[in-house]
Amino acid sequence: MRNRLPGLVSRDGERKVRVMRGLELTLRQTALALVGLLFLFALPDIARLLPAIQLSVLHQGVVFGLAAVGLNLLVRHTQLVSFGHAAFFGTGAYTTALLAAKYNVTEFALLLIASMLLATLMAMAIGYLSLRHTGLYFSLLTLAFGQLLYALVQGQTFFGSSDGLPVRPGPNMRPDIFGLALPPDAYEVLVYYLTVAIVVVSLLVMWRLINSPFGAALDAIGQDRTRAQFIGIPVRRYVWLAFVVSAVYGGMAGALYAMVQQHVRPGPVLYFLRSGDILFMAILGGYQTLFGPLVGGIVLVLLQDMGRDLTNYFDALTGLVLLALVFGFPQGIVGSLKKGGRVRSAASSFKNNPAVVGAWVSSFAESLVTAATQSVQNVKVLVFGVK
Amino acid sequence: MSVVTNFITHTLHGVQYGFILFLIASGLTIILGILDVLNLAHGELYALGAYVASSVLGYVVGLVPPPTDPASQAMFVAVVLGGAVLTAAVLVPVGAAIESVLLRPIYDRNEVYQLVLTFALLLIIKDAIKFGWGPTPVRLQSVYSGINGIPAASLVGLNYPTYNLVIIAVGAIVVVGLFYFFNRTKTGRIIRATAIDREMATAIGVSTDRTFTLVFAVGAFFAGFAGAMALPPTNASLEMGANPLVLSFVVIVIGGLGSLRGAFVAALLVGILSRWATWQYPPAELAAPFAIMAIILLVKPDGLFGTWGEMDA
Amino acid sequence: MDRRTMLKAVGGTALAAALAGCSSLLGADSNQDASGGASDVPDEPIQAGLQTFTEGPAAVLGLQAQYGAELAVSRINEAGGIAGRQIELDVKHEADAYVENYTQFVSEGKEVTFGPISSGGHAALAPEVEAQGVVNVSTDGTVTTLYEETVPDPTYSFRFQNYDVMECVSAARETVNRLGAENVNTVAGINPNYAFGKDEWKVYTAALQKLTDVEIVYEGFPDLLADDMSTHITEINNQQPDVTFSSQWGGDVVTMMNQAAANNMFDNTQLVGTVLYSAVNDLSQDIVEQAQALSGSRNYYWGEPEPARWSPGQQLLDDARNQWDIIPSGHFMSGYGAVASWATATEKAVNLTGGWPSQEQIAMSLEGHGFFTPAGYHVMSERHQGLSTAYYGEMDWSSEIGAPILNDINSYSPPDVSPPPGTKSLDWIESW
Repeated sequence: MRNRLPGLVSRDGERKVRVMRGLELTLRQTALALVGLLFLFALPDIARLLPAIQLSVLHQGVVFGLAAVGLNLLVRHTQLVSFGHAAFFGTGAYTTALLAAKYNVTEFALLLIASMLLATLMAMAIGYLSLRHTGLYFSLLTLAFGQLLYALVQGQTFFGSSDGLPVRPGPNMRPDIFGLALPPDAYEVLVYYLTVAIVVVSLLVMWRLINSPFGAALDAIGQDRTRAQFIGIPVRRYVWLAFVVSAVYGGMAGALYAMVQQHVRPGPVLYFLRSGDILFMAILGGYQTLFGPLVGGIVLVLLQDMGRDLTNYFDALTGLVLLALVFGFPQGIVGSLKKGGRVRSAASSFKNNPAVVGAWVSSFAESLVTAATQSVQNVKVLVFGVK
Repeated sequence: MSVVTNFITHTLHGVQYGFILFLIASGLTIILGILDVLNLAHGELYALGAYVASSVLGYVVGLVPPPTDPASQAMFVAVVLGGAVLTAAVLVPVGAAIESVLLRPIYDRNEVYQLVLTFALLLIIKDAIKFGWGPTPVRLQSVYSGINGIPAASLVGLNYPTYNLVIIAVGAIVVVGLFYFFNRTKTGRIIRATAIDREMATAIGVSTDRTFTLVFAVGAFFAGFAGAMALPPTNASLEMGANPLVLSFVVIVIGGLGSLRGAFVAALLVGILSRWATWQYPPAELAAPFAIMAIILLVKPDGLFGTWGEMDA
Repeated sequence: MDRRTMLKAVGGTALAAALAGCSSLLGADSNQDASGGASDVPDEPIQAGLQTFTEGPAAVLGLQAQYGAELAVSRINEAGGIAGRQIELDVKHEADAYVENYTQFVSEGKEVTFGPISSGGHAALAPEVEAQGVVNVSTDGTVTTLYEETVPDPTYSFRFQNYDVMECVSAARETVNRLGAENVNTVAGINPNYAFGKDEWKVYTAALQKLTDVEIVYEGFPDLLADDMSTHITEINNQQPDVTFSSQWGGDVVTMMNQAAANNMFDNTQLVGTVLYSAVNDLSQDIVEQAQALSGSRNYYWGEPEPARWSPGQQLLDDARNQWDIIPSGHFMSGYGAVASWATATEKAVNLTGGWPSQEQIAMSLEGHGFFTPAGYHVMSERHQGLSTAYYGEMDWSSEIGAPILNDINSYSPPDVSPPPGTKSLDWIESW
């Protein structure tokens, strides 16, 4: 009889930890997952110990990471790079804010569900219009729809225009959590733990999704649309579904953002640079992994926040980190730490022969010099022509 | 003001806006059409152009007498345009370096890395500008008022700034020049050939490396030129790159990705329609370009001249 | 005026005198007067935080506020601090992180925070200030609804600068004063396309329609940082309204006025603006002279009273020009006054409690607190809104200082331009 309960099981001679149906982790993966979970749960205490780090900032990182996890369903599996995901993040955030500010809806769960619903509707419409295209055209279309939404919200007094809307409903001036009116400190921490719980569930759901036949079909679509069509996958409908699912994650994240920040303005949630941020979080963390986008979210938000205290040139700091990502760690943070990833293999070759560092430096310098000579050469040719 | 002259003036604003949009979008669309790279840093190259122009133009107009009589006015316009070209030339090595050092190693990778890379450049160029010119806006008012001192539109009874006429004229020259370059010159044809089929171009002895560097440098040139032309009526600020970037996305999406002709038609269309929209219904200003785009795409999903990656100039 | 009269006039202490700009009259021994009687006052300096725009287009206002705050801090420190405690001011860029900046300040142990400039940012911040309980005196963030709707019953959140209603009602009164009610028949607006611009336009037209039989003929809202405003300008040329109202600020003022001049708009209308003068350091002579605009300068204009006759004003102008090479605008006073209001109220609380006051005590001391700056007398009202005289004048060019000036100043005192306590602004205007 098959073991249907979570616990230790043996598979092909390897001991694995069974979490739920279809999800079995190696001991190492289990350990990592537990450490990750512990880390998420300990964040409020970490924030308390380190004055330079605020819980609300970390919380934002987790929330944006959640949106990036959603976006990653598209980027990783269907190879569609949406550059307008702020539209759904913003839809979620504004649904919560509107309901709280204009209709005095106080219940956390209600606000969250309504936000997810609205994000779904929005994604059905935008997805229908933009998924007729692939590649850069798709990216640009999603970006343009996102900007249209930004322009509409920014222009309407109903949405609070650029001043935005407060999320301070009821006499308690903040949402109730399952009917409980909490004081500010308790609210902050409880919303954080709820976020963590939502993130864990969302990751599990996403894991199930990408390991289902639907996920496999998305992969097939990502590899070759035409072939996927020929083998009978309803490409348009599947891609549309994936788009909507990824948007629901965005909407959920937006609602959580609104409840953390307790004020929503168009710039931080709808502007196209926010779409870029969400995308780059996924890539920074490692878009070929499930957890990567979450890590990327936390890291990028922290980097931007702490960079501001560190230097006037914090934008360039973020830029340099992204450059390092492109050239040094294209698999992202989590991807590089995985088996066969850049960091792991570099570490093992370093362990074998520490002198390898010299070779790294010289090869890096060499490629830099080659590139520089090449560009000087090119400019010369451009300016003086070929002699 | 009569109804007719009012209509003409509003339309001229749209045409002028359209040419500025085209100047910005042309570089982006050339890079996109030939290199298949969406350059998110294009708006910052435009901003860099405006900042460089504040220094270059500020210097060169100091070398000539103030524009008072027709001769000195003609000289003044010539010096300003020369300064704008000089500014744009400064952007050429910047563009060449970006392409050959940074972009080249990642052509064969997933396109998301191009987005990350050019976004990183956006951030870095923005801070480089902050480092070079300081955190507050810079401006150059003497050029705008100097050229506006030349009576031009008033000769035909219109109330319209001469500087804007200069933008329209220069924009028209650039359009003609670009189409001539891509249709009639050898280099232009080689570039188009490379865009259509890289392997074939390599096979017949074209250096794609060099072509790509050239194309990116040309793109940077036009971004810089647009920035230089856009500076005098307003100012250069750290945030100035974002809007033009998004608007040129709108333009190239309407025109059809990579189509230079499409970009031109779309730029004029967006320019004129959005100015008319603002005139008739002022609250539409921010949303107008995006609404125009949404409507056009509903009718023509591939844009006006949807030719995927090919130069159809 | 002798030393005793002077001290009495400004509130009794050397600190208050220094912030009023009168310390030079008091002689060198002034710091001995610093509220010495208090026991239980900590030794370490007061940590204070200011968030303002230190870069980008809004830095035109933000840096003025920063310089003003820094000048106030240095004057406090030169006068011996507050009950002997010096102030250390930490400045942060507002960016889009109003609440984060404030929370960061609080967790770093700041005893008071100042700023922000942004209206939207202030609306986001004020409820958080109430929740965290460290006094914030905003420099600007002048949104009307702040203390009418967002935080109707504030404890820790204060605002120094006159808010939108005050400056728009002043603008309407100024329009009528200068042009005569019978000459104001049509009005148009060019206002920035965000909450502040729309708010100002709404209040201004509401007030003007009460004072005259004016008809609105055009309302344009160019985006912030728009590089082209000519469509709106052309339409104003087409309509030729008697008055064109604008709440543009900073660089957008320069863009608008340059393009208006290029399109000969000033031949067709009288421009009235609430903060046109915020572009004082960037406007050029030909434009200013063509425009002959009427401009407000919030609660401070350096030339009123005339500096030659009034040394605190002259001193402030000199300090701003020497240290930062700028003509101080209303936003300079936003920073200066925010710090001054908190410092003088805190000193008062020290004297009352005999020790270092708590946040609650400081907040209570700020309510209804009156104090002087070189701009004159200010009151931080019971509803936490600073009330000061507003200034309007005809903008003209001065070759003497090489910058625009305001001629023929009219001043508007708070009772004439702000609603009585408990009344919402638009209801108040409606009741005229």
